[in-house]
Amino acid sequence: MVASLLTAQGLNKQFRSGSQPVSVFRNLSLQLDRGESLALTGRSGSGKSTLLNILCGLEQPNTGSVQVLDEVFEGDTDRQAEARWANLRRQQIGVVFQEANLMPALSLLDNVRLRARLAGRNEDDCRDWLERLGIGELSGRFPDQVSGGQRQRAALAMVFAMNPALILADEPTGSLDRHTAEDVTGQLFDLQARHGCGLVLATHDVELATRCSHHLDLGHLPET
Amino acid sequence: MTVFSALLSHYRRHPLQLLALALMIVLATMLWTGVSHLTDRARASLAQSERAIAGQQELVREDGQSVSVQDFAYLRRQGLCVMPWLEVERPAPEGRVIGVDPFASACFGNEAPGQARVDALNGEPFLDIAEAAEMVRQGSDGQLSLLVPVDVEANAVPAAFRLKDFSMGPATGELGESFLLNLDALGVLVLLITALLVRSVYQLGLVQRRESFALLRRFGVPAARVQVLLLIEMVALTSVCVIPGIWLGRLLAEILGGGFGQVLESLFDAPLYAVAGDGFVLPALVMVSVVLLACFADKRLLLRLPWLSGRQSVLWFGVPVLGLGLAMVAWPFILGWLYVGIALVFVAVGLLTPRVLSHVAQWGVEGAGAITLWQRRELAVLFRRLALPVVALQFAVAMVLAVQALVTTFEDAFEQWLAQRLEAEFYVEVPAQSAVEDGVRYLESLSGLGDWHLVQRGTTRVVPEMAGDDAATSVEVDLFSISPIGPLVTGWTLLDATPDAWEKLAAGQGVMVNEQLARRQEYQPGDPIGFALGEQTLALPVVGVYADYGRPEGEILVAGQILPDTFNTRFQSLSLNPGTLAMAEIEQGLATVWNTDQLTVRDNSSIRSLASEVFDQTFLITRAITVLTLVLAGTSLLVMGWVFFTTRAWYYRLLFVWGLSRREVAGQLRWLAMFLTGAVAVAALPLGVWLTWTLVSRINPLAFGWSLPMAVYPGFWLEMLVLCLAIGLAIAVLMRRQLGAGVAAPAVANVSGGGER
Repeated sequence: MVASLLTAQGLNKQFRSGSQPVSVFRNLSLQLDRGESLALTGRSGSGKSTLLNILCGLEQPNTGSVQVLDEVFEGDTDRQAEARWANLRRQQIGVVFQEANLMPALSLLDNVRLRARLAGRNEDDCRDWLERLGIGELSGRFPDQVSGGQRQRAALAMVFAMNPALILADEPTGSLDRHTAEDVTGQLFDLQARHGCGLVLATHDVELATRCSHHLDLGHLPET
Repeated sequence: MTVFSALLSHYRRHPLQLLALALMIVLATMLWTGVSHLTDRARASLAQSERAIAGQQELVREDGQSVSVQDFAYLRRQGLCVMPWLEVERPAPEGRVIGVDPFASACFGNEAPGQARVDALNGEPFLDIAEAAEMVRQGSDGQLSLLVPVDVEANAVPAAFRLKDFSMGPATGELGESFLLNLDALGVLVLLITALLVRSVYQLGLVQRRESFALLRRFGVPAARVQVLLLIEMVALTSVCVIPGIWLGRLLAEILGGGFGQVLESLFDAPLYAVAGDGFVLPALVMVSVVLLACFADKRLLLRLPWLSGRQSVLWFGVPVLGLGLAMVAWPFILGWLYVGIALVFVAVGLLTPRVLSHVAQWGVEGAGAITLWQRRELAVLFRRLALPVVALQFAVAMVLAVQALVTTFEDAFEQWLAQRLEAEFYVEVPAQSAVEDGVRYLESLSGLGDWHLVQRGTTRVVPEMAGDDAATSVEVDLFSISPIGPLVTGWTLLDATPDAWEKLAAGQGVMVNEQLARRQEYQPGDPIGFALGEQTLALPVVGVYADYGRPEGEILVAGQILPDTFNTRFQSLSLNPGTLAMAEIEQGLATVWNTDQLTVRDNSSIRSLASEVFDQTFLITRAITVLTLVLAGTSLLVMGWVFFTTRAWYYRLLFVWGLSRREVAGQLRWLAMFLTGAVAVAALPLGVWLTWTLVSRINPLAFGWSLPMAVYPGFWLEMLVLCLAIGLAIAVLMRRQLGAGVAAPAVANVSGGGER
């Protein structure tokens, strides 16, 4: 039996607000195969970003397990588990945030090269990725010299340059105007389909969520 | 919610920034007030001591005996204006007190020595002569002098007495000036560094509040009003912070005051008087002005100097200014010119250092791997964005390096020089009117006596040009003769000499000159020197140049045998090692042949240890102040570096998101922070060495006529490097803790915008 790309089972996440425990989600499970996409929707504070962080090992669930490719994590918080997560993020998981995905002291091209280098990929293709995303002529510019949409395209170029198995995108178009947002997400879905990687997309945009093959609505606010 | 409270809300959210700014103002005020208070007290004390003895003369007995109360009565009956001055040594910590008789000094008019101090100093160290006499009766050592006004002439003095310049100790006016100049320069440098530090913390606060300012402008608040509110904010904060700062500065001055007082007492014979402070108003005004100037000066200045605000223009401006400053220091005409040159060098270095380090950080990165490229670019950004604290730390490290090298060099040179000058175990003053030949014959008759020589001092006139002996161009210098030239002097380190210099001197075939005279008249070994001895003029070659620290006068050293009988000897002494004999026995013998009961004999080893102790204490203060400045600068860079790294924490966390382990991210942070502070230490090194050279080879000769050997101390460089690296490590540790706690949100693009390229 071929293991799925991403599996989460029985995830529970709580945090404390003062002396009160706040439950973000309980007994949450999901599964994603290669080439599939999953939209996470829900109100602000419903736990979309927390779930994405758990799925890439930036945060740990209180209980439950996460499997990415062949790596299984069942509440492991030791140094070895941290190293396995770090290795996955380095080579297999591309993360795109709403903004500030680029190192400010590097040009767009150098940012893409840095990400490819960390993933152990060929740096020669980096310029091509910027070309494909329509910002080739801006490759020498620095993040504060280009628009928000161009920065997000550069962030996508970084992710695709590392050729990941899984992309986790946290409201990647949240700070863009509608036209630019459509443009960027079009390119994201296009490339995801072409490369056959998995995509988990946290978004408020219902229309965008419908373009994903799966939809998980976290909908509610955390319970105290 | 008013505009002002909206502005202040930033500090509610970031109280650490407010605390850092307040702390910096308090520390800056403390340091400057401390230095300034000590300098003021020293200056006032020295001035009072100088006034106490300036231009005074005393009457001494022709027979060499001490003056007595009976002498005082006799002289008064002769109609002379005489004031008794009784110095009494009291056990520590009281020290020396001086008994004066205000009634007897009435004939001095307003210039009565001691009287003014009695009024101004609340009695210390002057007291009524009756009290001093009582102390002597109870066993304290006391020495009576009889002072007369300066206008009393020799022919008015009764036959059994003669006039003599009155002095409480060695002539230390130049040393005192040097000491005060040292403290003044330190005070200015401390003020400059603290101003830089305050400015750096303030500017970082502004950068972080930029979004608030932009928002207020969008809400219709004019930029000028925001400026005024910021000014009010700073005035209020500074006004609050300078009060504890001044109080702490006074406390610092009090703590250092003990050792400082001992220095003045021992070095200049001037106690550290309890001079009333300036109160709080003047220091507070100075610090508020400095803080406001540091924070707001560029608002006007840069508008008028747009050529200074660009990047390339900094280089175009900085490099010529640096060249000009270096040239002015290399070829100084006067002391003021030299100081302007030093100021220019500091300004240029301050402008250029961040740029140069930033360029160096990116040097050769073109073919480098992506991570190396990121490291170097990030470092370049840090150098530029942390320019002010980087420059402040560089200045502080350079200052510490220079002061340490100067102090250590001076201590080494002085101790070596002192040991050579005080090679003999004892020093015996030949009483006035006594026949020195009797004493010399007596010493020659002793068997078992160690090395000894006779020192005779007077003055002569040096004729710079041998031909013509033009008196108009001649200069008066001290003449110092030794006979015989023996092992007590031949071990002196000479700054420059011809071969067999001591032999030539002993044979009367040459003279030696002190460094002051050599510098002033540009004498080199081998040059002929013409000088008058009695009624004849001699022309002999200079065979050596010897160090003579702390004295402004020129001096010629000759063998005693060339002194003619007509030479007017002003002072004579014997330096001797008793060998197998007891010093008391020799002393008794000399007293007998000279027919005196009061022979001045000094144990040179106690003088040596006292002098060394005095210099240790002198430089302990200098060192303490420089180290405090370094601590302040280091703390500033630590706080600034930490706060600035925090603003970029999101980007360091991106590395973690991109697959670097926490340990690897911490390693990157450590590399960045330690490279940053290590580079500051490296950049400070040439400035520190240059400053050392300027102090020993330029300022000292121009100000005081003597130089010190230029020495460097690589061990201390290493200590400074380690200290800077430790500051970097501390920043990295703080950042690691910060990143471990998670980063709530990235900095928005415009916060990190600018300064990145």
